[in-house]
Amino acid sequence: MEHFRLFVLPFYAGAFFLLITLLCKYIYWFIGLSREQKRLFWRSLPTRATWKSVVEIFNESLLHRKIWRTNPLLGYMHTSFALGWFLLISVGWLETFVYFKGESVPLYVDIFFSYYVHPIFERNFNFSLIKDALLLLILVGVVLALFKRLYSRIMGMKRTTKHMLGDRVALTALWLIFPARLLAESLTSAEVWRFGGYVWTLSENTQLIPPGIGCGSFLTGSLGQWLADFLPARIIEAQHVELTAWWIYSIALGVFFVALPFSRYMHIFTEIPLIFLRNAGLRAAEKESSFDHFQVDACSRCGICIDPCQLQSGAGIQGVQSVYFLRDRRYGRLTDAVADNCLMCGRCQQACPVGIEQNTLRLNSRVKRAYPDSPNRYAYIQGKDLSTGEGKVGYFAGCMTLLTPKILRAMEQIFTAAGEEVWWADKNGGVCCGRPLKLSGEVDAARKMMDFNKNLFRQHGITTLVTSCPICLKVFKEDYALEGIEVLHHSEYLQRLLAEGRLKLRSGSETFTYHDPCELGRGSGIYEAPREVIAALGVLKEPAETREHALCCGSSLANTAIDDEGQRRIGEQVAMALAATGADSIVTACPLCKKGIAREATLPVYDLAEIVARAL
Amino acid sequence: MTGRVIIIGGGVAGMQTAITLDELGFKPVIIEKEASLGGKLCRWDRLFPTMTPAQEVLGDLLKRVEKTASEVRTSTTVSEIEEQGRGVTLSDGSRLDAEAVVVASGFDIFPAERKEEYGYGLYDNVYTTVDVERMFREGGVRMADGREPKTVAFLHCVGSRDEKVNQRHCSRVCCITGVKQAIEVKQQIPGAEIFSFYMDMRMFGPGYEELYRQAQQQYNIHFVRGRISEASPTIDHRIHIKAEDTLIGRPLRMSVDMLILAVGMQAGSSNVAFGRNNNIDLYPSGFLRPLNQFSGNVRSSSPRLFYAGTVTAPKNIGESINEGIAAAYQVAQTLNAAKS
Amino acid sequence: MTTWGYSISRPRSIDIDRNDMSYSQELLREYPELQTCIACGNCTATCTAANLTSFSLRKVHTLVRRGEYQGMAEELEKCMLCGKCRLACPRGINTRQIVLTLKKHLVNRSR
Repeated sequence: MEHFRLFVLPFYAGAFFLLITLLCKYIYWFIGLSREQKRLFWRSLPTRATWKSVVEIFNESLLHRKIWRTNPLLGYMHTSFALGWFLLISVGWLETFVYFKGESVPLYVDIFFSYYVHPIFERNFNFSLIKDALLLLILVGVVLALFKRLYSRIMGMKRTTKHMLGDRVALTALWLIFPARLLAESLTSAEVWRFGGYVWTLSENTQLIPPGIGCGSFLTGSLGQWLADFLPARIIEAQHVELTAWWIYSIALGVFFVALPFSRYMHIFTEIPLIFLRNAGLRAAEKESSFDHFQVDACSRCGICIDPCQLQSGAGIQGVQSVYFLRDRRYGRLTDAVADNCLMCGRCQQACPVGIEQNTLRLNSRVKRAYPDSPNRYAYIQGKDLSTGEGKVGYFAGCMTLLTPKILRAMEQIFTAAGEEVWWADKNGGVCCGRPLKLSGEVDAARKMMDFNKNLFRQHGITTLVTSCPICLKVFKEDYALEGIEVLHHSEYLQRLLAEGRLKLRSGSETFTYHDPCELGRGSGIYEAPREVIAALGVLKEPAETREHALCCGSSLANTAIDDEGQRRIGEQVAMALAATGADSIVTACPLCKKGIAREATLPVYDLAEIVARAL
Repeated sequence: MTGRVIIIGGGVAGMQTAITLDELGFKPVIIEKEASLGGKLCRWDRLFPTMTPAQEVLGDLLKRVEKTASEVRTSTTVSEIEEQGRGVTLSDGSRLDAEAVVVASGFDIFPAERKEEYGYGLYDNVYTTVDVERMFREGGVRMADGREPKTVAFLHCVGSRDEKVNQRHCSRVCCITGVKQAIEVKQQIPGAEIFSFYMDMRMFGPGYEELYRQAQQQYNIHFVRGRISEASPTIDHRIHIKAEDTLIGRPLRMSVDMLILAVGMQAGSSNVAFGRNNNIDLYPSGFLRPLNQFSGNVRSSSPRLFYAGTVTAPKNIGESINEGIAAAYQVAQTLNAAKS
Repeated sequence: MTTWGYSISRPRSIDIDRNDMSYSQELLREYPELQTCIACGNCTATCTAANLTSFSLRKVHTLVRRGEYQGMAEELEKCMLCGKCRLACPRGINTRQIVLTLKKHLVNRSR
């Protein structure tokens, strides 16, 4: 123990604490998984999914490729910290291994290698050069991180996350680690430079380093030389200056490790099990599960989700975005005001570099907070059949379509033109599809409506169900389990009628721009059908943000918290973006989008069915 | 001193401004976007609450304008008003110099298509109060198939007091217009049943409340307190409407032969362009905001820019004409003071 | 079964003196938008649930504003939360939020 120094203790304490905390958390969460989830995980080992996970961990946890795509500077910053530090540790281990020829040395010798060994270039492969280069890489990242705090816009982010105390402690410690290391290594080098030293080995024959050589490489070596020249001899001689620097380094490491599990840096390690579990097929569900912990804690609070959020950019609502929702949920301080204030448009999910299932997590938080269902609820719907007509094709207008009768009228004309016999499920009113209730978290109550409608569809013997409302479409597809009944959005149905030649349309030179409804595009993956239909009628002009990146109209039923003015402002944002295409008119395929956009639009707004009916 | 005063808009307010300015010795120039003077009044048949033929009021104003030395430029619009009111740019790009400018460009009629749920422009037999005036001028109210309607529903506040179409304000005159037209329909078709769906009846003018009472008592118009939420066609081409009878607290459903939408006044579409002038301020509703609502109703923040009529807020004809007189006197006061 | 505030044992009139108005005030503080209703009945007229059963959002929230809470939570259970009323409301009131908020408050109160 002759080489033991007290300054290594903070590091030891921190590292030990971190290890125990992480193990406890991960094991506890894993035990909490359902039997089925565990089975999925064990089955995925070792399969192609395992390999995929390893590659993904390298790409995303170390290289951060998705962040590079958002902005190269931001990408560099994340890569420098993650990959740079990882390599610094790896190279350090390798150096120790080579240096001591595989013999085991205390861990502190490895971690504080420069202090103990005074590595010099002549001895062996130039590890010092690599380590200095890596340290420089990270230090540039630290400078960028500081810079980002001040001028986030240059890094492609209009807004960054507002952090809490735990994060600030961890962040300060993290930023301190690398400058402290630079200083400590340089001071050691300065001392060796001035007074010489010895190269520490396991055996007795230590190699002496004469003064004027120093140790380290271009960074720590040069800085050491500079310090040796400029600092008074008594300062360098007094070993406590060098030791203080190493104390600082060790304390910074220790503090960071202790703060890590309580801060956003929990993501560093949590992303690894998350990737394995996700590739094994685990998903978040309607009800909260233990798997959610892995997703919630994998959020790095990078804040990339803030900019795409239109609540922020359109309506000026702050503090409710996914990053804040996950934060509040993680620390058990989620409020209705945050949980409910989300359009669930999916734009943040699209941007999230960690691939967290934002919508599902938001939904299951709402389910947990929802008002409990009572057994007699909706008893009044029993036996209420207001449907009309008879046919193999059923048309479900949806509640909202009843307030946009032009869509209904257009569908009538289209069905007639195509010679389709139609059963009209809810032209005179009906029972809601259940999705709005589900989105508010009342899933058990929603189930009653779903069962009612499902029975109604069965009773009338339809084989195809067409709806012009993407909200209904999504719930029919995902929750109704309508075996034997094909569910189509009217855009798909119209595409089919055109392909089968059952509709003859007049094509013209009119230009249209198309707004992808969230529930239809990102929600159901239907992008081509409406575009094909528009192409059959005229020229399509895409807005700047389209398809997966399309804006939300702001009227989403998923948000029960937003006020009318907020909805109006988001609608205005979308209307302006669509008008900027220079098209003659705006086309969408959702009654809510139509109303939301038309409110502020300078161009006429049509549903897809309307422009088809017009061209018959 | 040319004495030239530009009046933007040749409706009742603009015409009256010209008449008074002429009397006071100035040279008014009326810029009218339509082919003839008269504004919205041209579209009306009879006027509330006295049932005076619109033509009487309009004809009188036209005759009086004729007698003045006013210059009238029809089918012309103003694209820009100069900052200090010393001239305007016309739609053809030419500049017109002036001593002062009076903005009397009026209002726009709320386009009822925007309330899609009422089916205007989609179903037969859904009309606006403006359409009904046209029908009266053309001989009476008829359904699309030429028959006289037996049941008629009026819906008040279409495009007024409705945040969903960004029209927060009350258009004031539609209540009494609806009452007047209900009486006229009943006079034309004594056997017709007329239902008037309202939220509040705002009878602000002299004789209005009396007309309302007459409609109830003498003409047996049924006033139902509730806003129609949606209209849909029935198989026999009638209009099925849904409302809540809020005084009873139960939903109300009925089929009518004709649905008449009492459309409100919205801010003139040219107001936005006028608002580019730093001395012209707009209300959130889009109407122009006068200097103050008490003694500065016809003034802007520029001493040579004036307002008259419904460009600042919904008003009835009498009020608009009064503002024409007031604006003319304020113009005279300013210009005479500048002269001396 | 809903009592709808009309049971024989209760007074026929809304007695503002006796009703717990402080609770209603509390709700209005949290949700001032509720006070902007002009009672046009559009929400009820367009209501998907009211088409099938007796339910009037306008009536329910007006009663709550008057300090009449009994049976209101059960009434609100009938709402399907479809959002038609919100789309139709000329005052731009967030009616769905009102249903959720009232329900949560009234249920907590009755517990």
